Amino acid sequence: MKKMAVILAIGAACVGVCLPVHAAEGGSIASKIEELGEMDYLYVTDMRAVRRDNLLRIQFTVTNSSSSNERLYYRFRWLDADGFTVWEEEPWKPELIYGKQDKVISVVAPTFKAVDFKLELQSPHNTTPSERTGTADNPPYH
Amino acid sequence: MKSCRVLLLSALLSFSLSACVSTGSTSSPTSGGGSGVSYGDSKAVETVTTDLGSTDIQMTAEKMTISMLQHPLLQDIIRRRGLLMASPVENKTSEYFDTKLITDTILTQLQKNGVRYVIAGDEMQNQTDELIRQNQSGLYKKSSTAKVGNMQGAQYRIDGSVSSIVKRSASVKDVYYKINMRLIEIESGIVEWSDEKEIRKTLNR
Repeated sequence: MKKMAVILAIGAACVGVCLPVHAAEGGSIASKIEELGEMDYLYVTDMRAVRRDNLLRIQFTVTNSSSSNERLYYRFRWLDADGFTVWEEEPWKPELIYGKQDKVISVVAPTFKAVDFKLELQSPHNTTPSERTGTADNPPYH
Repeated sequence: MKSCRVLLLSALLSFSLSACVSTGSTSSPTSGGGSGVSYGDSKAVETVTTDLGSTDIQMTAEKMTISMLQHPLLQDIIRRRGLLMASPVENKTSEYFDTKLITDTILTQLQKNGVRYVIAGDEMQNQTDELIRQNQSGLYKKSSTAKVGNMQGAQYRIDGSVSSIVKRSASVKDVYYKINMRLIEIESGIVEWSDEKEIRKTLNR
């Protein structure tokens, strides 16, 4: 898959301190993402992480392959070096991605303790890997 | 013969137990069944109306906390163990909502990162009541009472406002919210940090 093939780019070249090894170990975008189902039109095509001013900063690009506007819901889970969560459950955030748009989303960890993360994603146009028809049963909105 | 009977009995027992496990269902630990009330996800994106809702409050508080944390002054306040307080956020919209929801969440999230804050406004009444009770009621040992005149004043205060523009047509209602927050040095009145969160909510009838 296209998104699986894209390498997680760590912002080592940027000003700032590189992420600890364990945060970058996954090596691929897929290792940092948890999709609720499989998004039909939206793909994370780039992801960067850097630690600056003691805070973990993430920037990821979401590409809409459809010509229609698509809705994305996302949130982060912030982890310590041992994989434990170090912050309360974040609220889901809605994002509108226009048709054929590459949207860059930048976030900063809400705690100094975060050294690693998982990105949870859901799109209403979303199918389970086994069932390529229908929509997800429990989207994170009501 | 006896051992055969024991074997048969244990086989029957295990069969009946496994039948229970495979076909029976357990009751959920709830009461008031059939009332139609259920618990939902407090972090879900709320789209019931265009009014300011839980998602807006949560996203705003989160953005402001993170923005403040990045500011060198706040990191310095944490190092110096300086004190913050929150003034009431002004609600300039036509809706009613408790603006303390925003500042309370910001202060809680900042405190988890090492920021100290002092109580202010309507919370002061409980504080002064308790100080008066301890010092004037005659009920407490003098050695154990909290002394009057030792409360600490904050060096910085969080302030802000919520404004909105509402547009309506026959088929569309569009609401634009702008939430502005500031960190002000109390002694000088200098605004050391400010940020804003914009939210657009549209209802198509």
